[in-house]
Amino acid sequence: MKLTYRTLVSTLAVAAFLVVWELAPRTGVVDVTFTSQPSRVIAAGLTIVTAGGFLNDVSVSLTEFAIGFGLAIAIGVPLGLVLGRFPVLRHLLDPPIMAIYATPHLALLPIIVVWLGIGMQSKIAVAFVGGVIPILVNTTAGVREVERSWVVAARSFCAGKWDVFVKVILPAALPSVILGIRLGLGRAVLGVVVGEMYQSQAGLGNKVMRYGSEFRTDYLLVYVLLISMFGLVATTAVRTLEEKLWTAGK
Amino acid sequence: MDGWKMKPVFLGIASFAIILLAWEAAVRLGWVNPFFVSQPSAVAATLSRTARSGELGHNLAVSFREFVIGYGLSVVVGILAGALASRFRTVEYALDPLLWFLYSAPLIAFYPIFVLWFGLGVPTVIALAFLLSFPQITTSTLNGFQNVSPGLIRAARSFGAGEMDLLWKVVLPASVPTVIAGLRLGIGRALMGVVVGELFGSTAGLGYSISYYGGLLKTTDLIASLVVIIILGVLCTQSLSALEARFDSWRVDD
Repeated sequence: MKLTYRTLVSTLAVAAFLVVWELAPRTGVVDVTFTSQPSRVIAAGLTIVTAGGFLNDVSVSLTEFAIGFGLAIAIGVPLGLVLGRFPVLRHLLDPPIMAIYATPHLALLPIIVVWLGIGMQSKIAVAFVGGVIPILVNTTAGVREVERSWVVAARSFCAGKWDVFVKVILPAALPSVILGIRLGLGRAVLGVVVGEMYQSQAGLGNKVMRYGSEFRTDYLLVYVLLISMFGLVATTAVRTLEEKLWTAGK
Repeated sequence: MDGWKMKPVFLGIASFAIILLAWEAAVRLGWVNPFFVSQPSAVAATLSRTARSGELGHNLAVSFREFVIGYGLSVVVGILAGALASRFRTVEYALDPLLWFLYSAPLIAFYPIFVLWFGLGVPTVIALAFLLSFPQITTSTLNGFQNVSPGLIRAARSFGAGEMDLLWKVVLPASVPTVIAGLRLGIGRALMGVVVGELFGSTAGLGYSISYYGGLLKTTDLIASLVVIIILGVLCTQSLSALEARFDSWRVDD
């Protein structure tokens, strides 16, 4: 990678932050319990990874995320395609969907726990609710914004309704679908983590809560960084796919 | 088609009516257990009871105050940071990693640390609301300012506009849609911060009452608070959309 002014400044900013964070507790300006230190976080990270039980938490959280978000895609995309094609259905379902979209989806956590208990099902449900709405809304928008002239052109070449849908509307709406998936992803991750923080028996969010209430800031930060990294990697992967599709469409 | 212009509105109202009727009917007919889902009539009764007893007003006031302070702070800081970053390249590049982190990190997980710093309750909730909404506002402001058409700026410059004139009379009006879009997205995130902050670390407010009644398995009271949060979310988002239309009215379509 070329050393540009941009990377230089960004790296320096991060480095300065780390140095201040490491040195401030040493000079006694701040209490290390409150802020921890980079060196302590690294040490805690090594302890956590080498100790048993870590993989179990990861697999619980990943499973909840995969099922919840998988369901969100499996239901959100087809339903969005249908809503995009049938205006009456859309006008009927749009207000409740928008109302849920404007509401913080994590506010549904307590009622979902009442319905589904404190096991994995409630996290799957929260991840699903968080993920499905952006996917649904963007898929619907993608279908509606398909260029009319493309549809007309396909029709004039005797394409049937099904052909138009599969060969014109579906590919044209795909970038919006992927955008919805990217937006839903972060909300689903947050749903799993906060769901686990709220009520759970295992998972990364469970550990965040545990170490948080024990005020083990270094352990807490390891888990927070892990979750952030997962979110960042997954989002970047979808974004890359998105850019590929946009350029392929041009 | 002219007579059908109101169709979406009618269908929208019909939609809520159908949901409420089906919900009430399902409970009355004994298809579902009201212990889990409550029913609209009971929720309405609870809402009017808590409104008269002052409980609803108190929770609403607590949550709204936290929201206004947290969101207000992030509007001021976010627009300032965005403006500085758009004017000075170094600021933009230095802020970049921080914004990236704040975007991808599950910030709510920091709440135990906030409790340690600020104590349980209002300040922690405000901090969460601020931290969740300010990156959104900063990025949108930065994008908005950077994408002001260079032609507009050159035109203003050649008529002798100074730095301040440029900001107030050209850059701000031209970037209004993007900035307000950021403010609108920020509302959702600030509201999320308030509700989740109260869910975990508070002793009052709408989020707290959801969690409190959830713990007692009092679904009717839980759903009543949830309904208030939904209405609040819709109202806030709608009012910003209205603002967006108003401030952008000078623009003529190209």
